[in-house]
Amino acid sequence: MIGLVDGNNFFVSCERVFNRRLVGRPVAVLSNNDGCCVSRSNEFRELGIAMGTPYYQLRNREKSGELDFCSSNYELYGDMSRRIISILRDEALDVEQYSIDEAFIYPPMGNGIGLVEYGKRLRAKILRWVGIPCGVGFAPTKTLAKIANHIGKKQPDGVFLMPDDPTEILASLPADEVWGVGRRLSRKLRAEQIFTAKDLRDASDDVIRSVGGVVLLRTATELRGKPCSEDRDYDADPDSVSCSRSFGEPVTTLDGISESLASFTAQAATKLRKHDMLASGCNIYAQIFRSGGGGDCIVRTVMFPEPTDATNAMLNAIRPEVPALFLPGTRYRKTGVVFFGLEKVGSARQMDLFAPPKALEASPLYKAIDAINARYGKGKVFSASEGIGDKSWRMKRGKLSKRASTRWDELLTVS
Amino acid sequence: MSKNAKVSGSVVAGFPSPAEQYQETPLDLNALLVKRPAATFFVRVKGESMIGEGIHDGDLLVVDRSLRPASGDVIIACVDGDFTVKTYRRDKDGVRLEPANPDFPVMYMRRGQQLDYFGKVTACIHRF
Repeated sequence: MIGLVDGNNFFVSCERVFNRRLVGRPVAVLSNNDGCCVSRSNEFRELGIAMGTPYYQLRNREKSGELDFCSSNYELYGDMSRRIISILRDEALDVEQYSIDEAFIYPPMGNGIGLVEYGKRLRAKILRWVGIPCGVGFAPTKTLAKIANHIGKKQPDGVFLMPDDPTEILASLPADEVWGVGRRLSRKLRAEQIFTAKDLRDASDDVIRSVGGVVLLRTATELRGKPCSEDRDYDADPDSVSCSRSFGEPVTTLDGISESLASFTAQAATKLRKHDMLASGCNIYAQIFRSGGGGDCIVRTVMFPEPTDATNAMLNAIRPEVPALFLPGTRYRKTGVVFFGLEKVGSARQMDLFAPPKALEASPLYKAIDAINARYGKGKVFSASEGIGDKSWRMKRGKLSKRASTRWDELLTVS
Repeated sequence: MSKNAKVSGSVVAGFPSPAEQYQETPLDLNALLVKRPAATFFVRVKGESMIGEGIHDGDLLVVDRSLRPASGDVIIACVDGDFTVKTYRRDKDGVRLEPANPDFPVMYMRRGQQLDYFGKVTACIHRF
């Protein structure tokens, strides 16, 4: 069995841990540059305001006191995510972090309390320890666990175990809402009389392959209850971009850690560019080897100076944090990088007139600048558009909360 | 025999190095003060309401969210949207938050009002 644990309205829930005035309020967290709504509280959803609604259209309703907004505080969210993952690692045989607020878990066998009870305890522990409410779903495959998780979130106790025969559930779920299918296949699916997840599961392999190739066939196989997502390419789902790998042999050197992370960052950045997306930051992690699987994970949250898809810019931000993952004399099983704060190139960035054009990244000019900087010191030559001195103005985050768990000078104050 | 004679520090056979017994890792304040990193947050004290407990303005408190509050514990809670550090009391007179300074009032929980508990204070770090 595989479990999927995810934080409900994760960014909003993180804000609420440190700002209790937001509890019970219609509140949304905004994308970079305070562009549009990327995380909404239940109260906010109930007003019928869609994900992605531009902030400027809602400003009047904020002024009147009806709605609350926060800028995205990815450092805080990254740290809260790290805490949740570490709890999951203590409680599960293994954990695969899928995005900043989602992780697949492999529950321990025969713990004697049953999966639903196990899920409830897990959920209660995360809520008490970190303050984030989660949904938990269990099923034989990741694709089914995703569906179970969605149902779990609507249960009073937040947990759902997929029944042995999920036919009824699949029959009520539109096929294009299945994880990894996506709207772009809707028309082709309809043409083949595939409307629901059940139709997709029961269609013939040939039909499925003709509609969506081997990727869709894998999804259908998972709907049939056969795990098929080992080394799965998560490309179909652009709300998360990550890359990780277990080492063939445990790695014991800082070089090994930093080289693998650099390579995974480059690979993940390629994925980003393929989707024309930018990332605001990432969590990098290194998992310590433990025979029999699992093992503690050391995680650092890295913010990029601005949302980017440039490998160089990412590596420059990541490099200083890598040594913190490394304990001498320790054997590592796995490293990985999970990007967060993803946005489409050009979306909500119109304001940022001074951002270097994307094409410059690999241009001869940039290369020359890199070479000069490498020789005479970082930042000796930079484009004037990068700004001189304090660059905090670059990203518009007018409603930024305190980075209460990662900055000494921004701690919560208590009177 | 030679193959499994000795495995990194843990002795199967042969003579241990006399120094091995005395090897110590440096003392780590984090390990001492933070038992559960996933549940531990630091907060900054503002004001003198808990001076009687040795908690001063500007001090750093170590807060463990995983611990349930018992009467008499120093806790962090949220009252009317503001976070506060007080002593938690629960007895026949009801639930209340007590300051450790006579200049500040005791805060009583009204009937049906739930305490918005954040975490238990496990240490206070005061710098001179």
